[in-house]
Amino acid sequence: MSDEKESLTDHEYDGIREFDNPLPTWWLWTFLITIGFSFIYFLHFFSGSAPTQIEELNTSLSTIKKQAKATNTKEKINSPDTEESMAQLLGQTTVVDLGREIFKARCVSCHGPELQGLIGPNLVDEYWLHGQGRWLDILTIVKAGVLEKGMPPWEAMLQADEIRAVVAFIVSQKGTHPKNPKAPQGEKIGNP
Amino acid sequence: MKSNSLSYVEIEYDDQIVKMFIIATMVFAGVAFFAGLLAAVQLAYWPANMNLEWLSFGRLRPLHTNAAIFAFAGNAIFAGIYHSSQRLLKTRMFSDRLSRIHFWGWQLIILAAAITLPLGYSQSKEYAELEWPIDIAITVVWVIFAVNFFGTLARRRERHMYVALWFYIATIVTVAILHVVNSIEIPVSWLKSYPVYAGIQDALVQWWYGHNAVAFFLTTPFLGLMYYYLPKAANRPVYSYRLSIIHFWALVFIYIWAGPHHLLYTSLPDWAQTLGMIFSIMLWAPSWGGMINGLLTLRGSWHLLRTDPVIKFFVAAVTFYGMATFEGPLLSIKSVSALGHYTDWIIGHVHGGALGWNGFLTFAMLYYLVPRLWGTELHSKKLATFHFWVGFLGVLGYYLSMVVAGITQGLMWLAIDGQGRLVYPDFIETVVRIIPLYWVRAFSGGLFILGFLTMLYNLILTIRRAPKQQSRLVKVTSNMDTLLSSEEQKGHRGLEGLVPTFTVLTVLAVLAGSIIEIYPTLFLNNYVPKSSQLQPHTALELAGRDIYIREGCYVCHSQQIRPLPAEVLRYGAPSTIAESMYDRPFQWGSKRTGPDLARIGKKYPDLWHLRHMLDPREVTPNSIMPAYPWLLRKKTDFLSLRKKFSVLQNLGVPYSTEEVANADLQAVKDAKHLAKQLMDQGAPADLTEYEIVPLIAYLQSLGQKSKLEIPPLESPKGD
Repeated sequence: MSDEKESLTDHEYDGIREFDNPLPTWWLWTFLITIGFSFIYFLHFFSGSAPTQIEELNTSLSTIKKQAKATNTKEKINSPDTEESMAQLLGQTTVVDLGREIFKARCVSCHGPELQGLIGPNLVDEYWLHGQGRWLDILTIVKAGVLEKGMPPWEAMLQADEIRAVVAFIVSQKGTHPKNPKAPQGEKIGNP
Repeated sequence: MKSNSLSYVEIEYDDQIVKMFIIATMVFAGVAFFAGLLAAVQLAYWPANMNLEWLSFGRLRPLHTNAAIFAFAGNAIFAGIYHSSQRLLKTRMFSDRLSRIHFWGWQLIILAAAITLPLGYSQSKEYAELEWPIDIAITVVWVIFAVNFFGTLARRRERHMYVALWFYIATIVTVAILHVVNSIEIPVSWLKSYPVYAGIQDALVQWWYGHNAVAFFLTTPFLGLMYYYLPKAANRPVYSYRLSIIHFWALVFIYIWAGPHHLLYTSLPDWAQTLGMIFSIMLWAPSWGGMINGLLTLRGSWHLLRTDPVIKFFVAAVTFYGMATFEGPLLSIKSVSALGHYTDWIIGHVHGGALGWNGFLTFAMLYYLVPRLWGTELHSKKLATFHFWVGFLGVLGYYLSMVVAGITQGLMWLAIDGQGRLVYPDFIETVVRIIPLYWVRAFSGGLFILGFLTMLYNLILTIRRAPKQQSRLVKVTSNMDTLLSSEEQKGHRGLEGLVPTFTVLTVLAVLAGSIIEIYPTLFLNNYVPKSSQLQPHTALELAGRDIYIREGCYVCHSQQIRPLPAEVLRYGAPSTIAESMYDRPFQWGSKRTGPDLARIGKKYPDLWHLRHMLDPREVTPNSIMPAYPWLLRKKTDFLSLRKKFSVLQNLGVPYSTEEVANADLQAVKDAKHLAKQLMDQGAPADLTEYEIVPLIAYLQSLGQKSKLEIPPLESPKGD
């Protein structure tokens, strides 16, 4: 304790005394290193040698884009969607059931549990607002959405086969008769 | 000691005022903690919003934060400052009357806050929500406090100021500057105003304020309290006087610059973000200087940690301080912020500080002070030890659950798969994932409250068995007239005897960073390209915006898309400076309990919004958002729009005189139109007069008001 007594200052405040110990070395180094780092970082960013945030964003977006292109071309060659390829899905109960589940989770809030239409249009009548009601028409709408009407582009949210499944489910419900159907909207097309 | 004078005077310290502040501290601790618990339960279990507008999360959360910071921590600071300053300066407070005006004024402000916030009178600027008349009251009471404090310093019998007083001085002057600058606003009516700052300026000023409210309301005064009560309780000299000097000045100079770390990856210019980050990193060591000086003061008396609950609380408090001030710089690194910002990690971080540091330090001070002030022994040491452990578990559980929740959700938001798509495109998925952790948090908060209630019981019994108080005269000697050695007149030691010089230097230290960061942004609007100038809000949209502000939507929804790939995929092009240039106040937000809304406009049909506000779960299953049925019952205040437009026009929003004169008429016209559209889409009735209509108008306008400075980024799936 004797060394402590040596460093005790003569300050006293309401009985509180103070040592005059030196700054802990590790603490001082921590402080100096953070200052050094900050100085270098500052120069890097203020000299313009570092990319701006928008530049960084564009770089990573284009990387993602390239990757996606590679994956997507592969997929497209494997399975280009056609009226025929889509129509085949109707016979696959697992696909239609998957579509039913997804519809329940994602689409019911606007199109109604019986597809009768609520915020969005009735999907089981013979009237269509966008396209002719063909397989690929519906597929395109689900994928790209109808932004001005509030239909989201589901391509960003669902996998390709999930989208196909939903479309298969919608087509499978054609000709059903919901209890409170929404009034017809769009052109009468009839069943394609 | 140089003072050899044997002539002493007998004085009595004003302990009554300390007792008053202590009781207020205990009362408002309860209010703040229970409001916090209810808010925590609401996030885990939405029906706890009870469909009551006064207690819905958006209004409760500001009540919780204001109660915790200004009512609980505020009263605790005042109790400690009034108690320790008198003793450190060997004099009674300057004026008993000013002390009482300060006390009652502050409690009235809290009462006003407790009434106005649930009623929805809010500026929606975090920790500065209170409306303009209350802002003025805060200024007046703070000045009274300052006069009383500096008056006491002027009458001191101790020539040199102890380090605790340096921190008190820094607190008093800086909080005054922060509060006044951030609260410059133009009234529209008695309880509504618009800030003079708009968009990015408002963001920068607000976070300069918000960050430094943490620094100068929750850090510096508590460090001052630590410097007085810790050596007192441990009966040990402070570890290092030199360290006190270095870390004090470093702290007050550096802290003020760090505000922009709340705005990393926003449309704030890169240079300001960089400054915010590097000053936050440099803040690490100065903060730890306080922790080291606290912990090393206990050298040689660590055995007290086992036996003395007061020391237990001190050690835990200082350790939590060290943890939070390490985590702060860490979170300010841009890439860490990209993950942590807007998540519950930040909530964990602030509660590590608020519960662990401010809470435990206050508890330590109360356990130390109450028996001494009331002249008795603590009722039960055992109960205090129980409080410590149950509280400690509470803080730990709170902190860990929120850090895990935050990092989990942050990673889910950012995840992109090989096809360049979001792995969790549905925001609600990322919410549902962390709800179990919301339960853990609520439970941990409950433990913390159990500890608090134990303390309340313990201290009430302590006070009840106090003997009848006699006057407690103390003998003090003054050393003001003793001759100082030349050593004591030089350098920092000399400065400690010069109150005005010391105060001026503190103000300069604080102003340096403030001016360098804020001044340039005051002219930022000049640099917004004319081509991207946006249209200001229509009258109906403005009415809706004020409802958005009233309901505290900013508490859970940001309006700021960061320039990160995942954000662009989820929400669209990054937000620009131009887009919020007329926003008073800015609504960038700081937390995403729900998704960002900067480009929500036109994404959903009008009717979707109507149904969503009435019952969010009808359109988003599992949503935890409160329902807002009162928006279909309350009528829109069209009449005030003319006044609002005229105030905004004076502040520089380009409304024509005609637009101002017809604001209310135009709004009614637009409301009729929108209500008709809603009816056509299937809304139940004519809603022209009701608040839901302007709110939908506002939401549908978000992101639709300006041509983007940069071309909208294509989604990577574009081709």
